[in-house]
Amino acid sequence: MINLLAYAQGANQINNSYYLLFLIFYMIITILFFMPGFQQKMYIYFIARDIENGLAKIENFSQNAKKKTIDLLKKSGAKNPDDLAEKFAEWFVIDPVNIEPTDIINRMKLLIRTSEDKIRQIIMLSLPNLDPVTRSKIEVSAEILNALNTIYKVVRHYLLLGKKLQSYYILLQLQSIVPMLIKMAESYEKAQDVFIKGIPVGDSLGPLVASRFLMNINEKWSPSREMIAGEMEFEGRKLIVVKAEGPMATVGRPGEAVENIINKLEGKVSRIITVDAASKLEGEQTGSIAEGVGVAMGDPGPEKIAIERIAAKYSIPIDAIIVKMSMEEAITEMPKEVYEASEKVVEMVKQIIRERTKPGDTVILVGVGNTCGVAQ
Amino acid sequence: MSQSSQQQQKTIVTVLKCLKCSYTIERPFKEGDFIPKIDGTCPNDGSPLYIWAIYAKPLVEKK
Repeated sequence: MINLLAYAQGANQINNSYYLLFLIFYMIITILFFMPGFQQKMYIYFIARDIENGLAKIENFSQNAKKKTIDLLKKSGAKNPDDLAEKFAEWFVIDPVNIEPTDIINRMKLLIRTSEDKIRQIIMLSLPNLDPVTRSKIEVSAEILNALNTIYKVVRHYLLLGKKLQSYYILLQLQSIVPMLIKMAESYEKAQDVFIKGIPVGDSLGPLVASRFLMNINEKWSPSREMIAGEMEFEGRKLIVVKAEGPMATVGRPGEAVENIINKLEGKVSRIITVDAASKLEGEQTGSIAEGVGVAMGDPGPEKIAIERIAAKYSIPIDAIIVKMSMEEAITEMPKEVYEASEKVVEMVKQIIRERTKPGDTVILVGVGNTCGVAQ
Repeated sequence: MSQSSQQQQKTIVTVLKCLKCSYTIERPFKEGDFIPKIDGTCPNDGSPLYIWAIYAKPLVEKK
């Protein structure tokens, strides 16, 4: 009995101790929550953890892209694949000065072309006997690696800056865009495999439509670098079809090509029809077709403005046909819906020519986009 | 595997077409395929078979 009483007293003391500890812990937490800055530090900790998880995924995509680029270079016979991949990853182009916009297009064109030429030169110096198709695959891989490395480094920069400055607002803004960046990085990584295999992508829609006309033309010429053009008769009209030269993974220089063709014809062109893939809004159907006016082209500026300028000079109306798809669908395997839309677009182009031009007119059809896996 | 993940899985197909009799055949994509490469002859009339399309088809077609 005495033993039992002693045991009960002991258990009571332990319970009291636990109660006391819990009370102290609860009081500390309550006091901490009322202390200035503690809550914010907790928020910063949890947001930073969330961003770090996202950053790890982006780093993984970037590392995979680097590995695939190195493998492609090794397979092509490059002696220094690691150095080349590192050079591609860290490559940069400085934007032209935009506080003085005069002539910015020419400056931008110069910078874009210099960058393209330099990347090509780096590849060709290492692999002088490379065929154009493999070279274009390496060029696209280099672009993807560069984009993924840039996304990774920018996210890491703002994460570290936010943590260093203990800035809740920097981290909050970063946290809100990281899911979109992860999705974008994932799409880029998927796109690299597709381009390496030479599969047409959603963006190949424009070249595919142009190819349907060009495959019936025997005599073709190159109106500008990596572009192909052909002339055919369509119901009494002269139809000139232009696209990037496939099946390499390139978009070519469509603006310069159209400008050269129209200058050669001294402006005697009745209509320009542009066909391109376009980003759909959430809720829109992949493969839905829309028609409008203007140059359908997702170019940073120089190519699109070249068509606008030459069309304005000779008062040539420009038609645009777009096929909608998501950003991921545009850079990965062409979805069936987009292929089916291309067949409808071919008929739409024919209908536009019939309805808006008359026999004897000259019409230019431009299939805009990356011509990976689509020849002519 | 869930039904939604099965729907997301895609296979890449190459469609070959005879431009004379519209005979069409579908096969899995092979590296080196491009549109409009000539790949074989038509079993009906011996005309060239062109690679007419290459696209991603969902493994489970949407209803």
